[in-house]
Amino acid sequence: MVLITLVRDYIGRMLQDIPGMKVLILDSSTVSIVSVAYSQSELLKKEVFLVELVDSMSKETMTHLKAVYFLRPTSENIQKLRRQLANPRFGEYHLFFSNILKITQIQVLADSDEQEVVHQVQEFFADFCAIDPYHFTLNMQMNHIYMLPAVVDPPSSHSFCDRAVDGIAAVFLALKRRPVIRYQRASDIAKRIAQETAKLMYEQESGLFDFRRTEFSPLLLVIDRRDDPVTPLLNQWTYQAMVHELIGIEDNKVDLRNTPKVSKDQQEVVLSSEQDSFFKSNMYENFGDLGMNIKTMVDEFQQITNSNQNIQTIEDMMKFVNNYPEYRKMQGNVSKHVTMVTEMSRIVEERKLMIVSQTEQELACNGGQVAAFEAVTKLLNDETISDVDRLRLVMLYALRYEKESPVQLMQLFNKLASHSAKYKPGLVQFLLKQAGIDKRTGDLYGNRDLLNIARNMARGLKGVENVYTQHQPLLFQTMESIIKGRLRDVDYPFIGNHFQQGRPQDVVIFIVGGTTYEEARTVALHNAANSGTRFILGGSVVLNSKRYAVSP
Amino acid sequence: MGNLETKSTVEDEEDDHRRSGLGVSSSLPARARDAATEGREERPSTSSSYSGSGGGPVIELVNASLLRPDRSYAPLSTEDPGGSSTGAAVVGLPPAWVDVSEEIAADMQRARTKMSELVKAHAKALMPSFGDDKEDQHAIKLLTYEITDVLKRSEKRLQKLSSSDPSEDSNVRKNVQRSLATDLQNLSMEFRKKQSSYLKRLQQQQEGFNDIQMSALKRSEVFTREREREIVQVVESVNELAQIMKDLSVLVIDQAERTQRKGGMVMCATVLVILIFIMLVLLILKTILL
Repeated sequence: MVLITLVRDYIGRMLQDIPGMKVLILDSSTVSIVSVAYSQSELLKKEVFLVELVDSMSKETMTHLKAVYFLRPTSENIQKLRRQLANPRFGEYHLFFSNILKITQIQVLADSDEQEVVHQVQEFFADFCAIDPYHFTLNMQMNHIYMLPAVVDPPSSHSFCDRAVDGIAAVFLALKRRPVIRYQRASDIAKRIAQETAKLMYEQESGLFDFRRTEFSPLLLVIDRRDDPVTPLLNQWTYQAMVHELIGIEDNKVDLRNTPKVSKDQQEVVLSSEQDSFFKSNMYENFGDLGMNIKTMVDEFQQITNSNQNIQTIEDMMKFVNNYPEYRKMQGNVSKHVTMVTEMSRIVEERKLMIVSQTEQELACNGGQVAAFEAVTKLLNDETISDVDRLRLVMLYALRYEKESPVQLMQLFNKLASHSAKYKPGLVQFLLKQAGIDKRTGDLYGNRDLLNIARNMARGLKGVENVYTQHQPLLFQTMESIIKGRLRDVDYPFIGNHFQQGRPQDVVIFIVGGTTYEEARTVALHNAANSGTRFILGGSVVLNSKRYAVSP
Repeated sequence: MGNLETKSTVEDEEDDHRRSGLGVSSSLPARARDAATEGREERPSTSSSYSGSGGGPVIELVNASLLRPDRSYAPLSTEDPGGSSTGAAVVGLPPAWVDVSEEIAADMQRARTKMSELVKAHAKALMPSFGDDKEDQHAIKLLTYEITDVLKRSEKRLQKLSSSDPSEDSNVRKNVQRSLATDLQNLSMEFRKKQSSYLKRLQQQQEGFNDIQMSALKRSEVFTREREREIVQVVESVNELAQIMKDLSVLVIDQAERTQRKGGMVMCATVLVILIFIMLVLLILKTILL
C-alpha cells in the first residue's frame, strides 16, 4: 500500500481544503502520477469537474472554477504558468509542485501574478508514478541515454540524472526518511546518480531532509539495468508481467484497440491492483492458475445471471433492481479479464511462445552450450517465429555463451541478419558491449563462485515446478544479500562516509535503465512473505522485451 | 518545514505586489467595472426564477453549504470581501447552469435531512404504543411523499443540465451532472432500502399482533364458557324460584277459597233481601196498575 497511499494522501490534501468546483491542471508527467492513484469518480467526488493539461491552448474563461495546478517544477512549466497567470482564466489559483521549488522559480511566479489570483503555493512530493504498492516508475523519455557515456550528449544525460535524482528524493521525502546510499561500482551513471542524490539530501537541502532519525536508517541502492540484461528479455507467464510483455501496460492502462474482436467499452482497460480485487489476487499467478481462477469467476457470474433471469415475484424484481449496478460492474470486470486472457492466448498461439519460452528459460537457467546452440539454431530456421523473438533468442544465447564458442555465435549472428532484415544486426553486439560479462558485477548465471554452482546443480537435480517460471531475477540474490547484510562493499560501495549498522529495515532499490514486472513481482512476494525488511523497487521506466531489445 | 518557508516567502512577495496590484485594478476601465456591477444585479433575479421553495435564494444556498461543509457548492460571493487579495478585476459570474446544479445539491441535502427524520419516524411507529398510531402513519406518509417528490424533481432538473455545445464548459457540466447523478442514485437506493426494511419490520410486527389476538381470542373463549356455566346456574336458580312461587301461589289460592265460605251467609242474606225488595216492588206495581 505504501507508495500508492502516499500519493493518494498528497492528492487528497491538495483537494480537500478548497471548496467549490475545481479544475485540475496537470502536466504530462503528473497526469500519469495522478491517474494511477486516483480514479475519475474519486476526483468527481472531490468536486474536480475538469482535468486539463497545462499545455492546452484553450482560452475559455471559467471564473466560477478554482484552478488546482499540480506540476513538476521544471522551467518549461514555470514559463507556462507565467503566461497563464498573466491572463487568468479561473477564479482562484492554487499551485502545487511535485518537488522542491527553487527560490528563483518562486520569485518568477510571484512577479507574474499581477492579478493576485494565486492563493497558495505548496510542495507535495509526489514526483513518481506509484503503479503498485511497492513499485514505482518515473516514465522517463529517452531512457536509453543511460547506456551512453555522458560525453555523447551532455544535456540529455544531465536531464536524465536530474529526473532520477528528483524522483528518488521525492520518494524519500514522501516516506520522510533520509537513507544511507550505496551504488554499483561498475556503473558510472549509477555512481553519478547516487552522488547527486547524496549531495541533495545531505548538503543542499539538508534541512528539508532532516527527519527524525530511527534506529536503522533506510538504504538506497542504485544499480544498473545492464547488470541483469536477461530479465527484460525473457517472456513472462505471470499475469501482470505477461500482459505488459505481450500487449503493454502504460500507467496501469492497457490499450486493446488493435486487438481483433474487442467491444467498444473494452478498448482501453485499467489493470490496477487498487481498484480491481480479482487482479490484485491474480496479478502474480501463472497463466495456468489464472485460467482456472477466471473460469471460476465466470461460473459464479453465470450463476448470478441465471438467477437474475429467473424473476418471479415482485420481491425478486426489487432485489434485481437494487443489485443491478453491482451486477453491471461485475460484468464489466469479468469481460475485461476474459478479453485479456483470450488475447494473450491468441498471441501465445500465434508466436509459438510455449516453445520459444522454453528455450529462453533454458538459456537463462540451465547449462549445456551445445544443446542450447542446437535449440536456438532450430528456432532460427523456423520461419513462423517472429523477428523479435528470434532476436531475443540470439541475444540470450550471446549473453550466456559469449566467450564459449565465438564461431557458433558468429553463425547465429549471420543467420539472424539474413532472416530478419528489420532489426539491425548490430543490436546484439551493442548489447554485448553494454552488458557483456566484463561489464556485469553480479553473478547472473550463478556460475562464478562455487557456492552458486553448487546451488544450481542442486536445483537442477531437484527439478523445477514450472519450467516456464523457473528464472529468478538477479535482484532476488541482491535482496537476499542485503537482508543477510552480506552485500559486498567492493561491488556496492557506500557514498561518502555513510555506514550502515546492522540490517536495514526499509530498502529502496532504484534500477537505472528500468525495472521489469517480474522483478516487481519478486519484491512484492518477498514483502508479503517476510515482515522484516521491506523493499521498494523503482526505475526510470518499466521494460518489456520489445522496449529493451529494440530501443537503442 | 521547507513548505512553510516557501509559503512565507511567497506571501512576502505578494504583499509587495499587492500594493502595485491595487494600483492596477483602480485604473480598470470603467466599462469593466460597470459590467461587473451589472452582473451582480443580474444574478439574484436569475436564481430566484429557479428556486421553488421560498426565501431569498442566496441565503438559502449559503445555509445549504453550512449544513455540510464538505459538500458545499459555495457560490462566489457577490460582495467583495474587504481587502482580500482577490482583486476586483476577477469577479467572475458563474454561468446559469451552476445555479441549477447548486440548487440540485441543496435539494439533495434537504432530502437527506428528511430521510433521517423519516428513519426516526419509522422507529417511533414501530414501537408498541397504546395510543392511536394514526398520527405516526400520517407523518410517515407525508415524509415519504416529500422525499419522493424532491428526488423526482432533482432527477428532472439533472437531465436538463446537460448541454449540447462542445465547449470546455460543457465538459465541466457533464462531469457535474455525472457526479450529481451518482449522488442521486445512491440517495434513492438508500431511501428504497430504508423503506423496504421498515415494511419488513412492520410486517413482522403485524404477525406478532396476530399472535396476541389469537391468544386473546383463546382467553375470551375460556371466559365465555365460564360465563355460560354461570348463566346456566342462574337459570336453574330462577327456575327453582319460579317453582317456589308457583307453590306459594297455590297456597294463597287455597287460603282464598277458605275465606270465601265464611262470607257466604252474608251473601245469602243480601240475596234474600234483594229478592224481597223485588217482590215488594212487583206488588206495588200490581196494585197501582189494577
